[in-house]
Amino acid sequence: MSDRADIDRSLIGSSAAPFAVEVEKGAIRRFAEAIGDTAAIYFDEAFARSLGYRGIVAPPTFPTTFRPPAKPAWIRGLDEGRILAGEQGFRYQRPIFAGDRLQCELRLTDMQDKRSSKGDMVLIIQDLIVTAPSGDMVCVNRRVVIYRGQTVTLAQGATS
Amino acid sequence: MKRAGLHKPGDTFSIRRGPITTTQLVMYAGASGDFNRIHYDYPFAVQKGLGGVIAHGMLTMAFAASCAVEAFGQANRISRLDARFTAPVRVGDVVDVTATVVERSTPDDLIEATLTAEVDGRVVLKGVVEVAPAAEAMP
Repeated sequence: MSDRADIDRSLIGSSAAPFAVEVEKGAIRRFAEAIGDTAAIYFDEAFARSLGYRGIVAPPTFPTTFRPPAKPAWIRGLDEGRILAGEQGFRYQRPIFAGDRLQCELRLTDMQDKRSSKGDMVLIIQDLIVTAPSGDMVCVNRRVVIYRGQTVTLAQGATS
Repeated sequence: MKRAGLHKPGDTFSIRRGPITTTQLVMYAGASGDFNRIHYDYPFAVQKGLGGVIAHGMLTMAFAASCAVEAFGQANRISRLDARFTAPVRVGDVVDVTATVVERSTPDDLIEATLTAEVDGRVVLKGVVEVAPAAEAMP
């Protein structure tokens, strides 16, 4: 456990300071371009409206761009080189559209020890709760990252 | 109700993305705000025991989401999307994503499908998507 002194379990259940996001069509376009997706609902407002949408639609994983202005306390002391993507989940009440002004809260839900054949790891389970100004839930994005122990390496082709 | 493509259990749909380039990883870093250096700084990634830069897991998940949207049609709405990252994706990799319908429920007509992303037959992502009909999509 000596290499995990930077994991602070007392923060479980706490949240980063709430933050607001404004969803811009330029940000949606750049995201869609980065992921190589040419679906017209991400670029063409008239087309999106023709399908009944309120405006340009954000791709399903777009809430990953909703980041607190500063790293949350439970991430701040970690070595970024040892953080890997573990799992992600999205629960949508409605799609996200260009022009949306949304309120976000990132919560540290749990930290769990995990042993694997390649060494010890900690799963850091975070939930991003996204709400509309009305207070209505828009989506929840569960973000699980793996914090590798110092001895855990990931050679070419190995599984994470 | 508009459904493109997939309808019944067992139906499959696939897309191919890549080869992944360092440029794409830099574009994704900028678009997503994930500037972890393991995704574009080769010496740093090697020093951290990763054997080279690895793609953002969320880029692979974005491919999986693209597959689902294309499979079910842009008019339909994703209500749930889950994924687990099972192996790293690297520069040069070609990623194949397949959606397979598991269940179509009545009367709400939700479709549940698995999503699997592979590189040369090696599974790099396993996921599930739930798609709601367009008629219920608009608030």
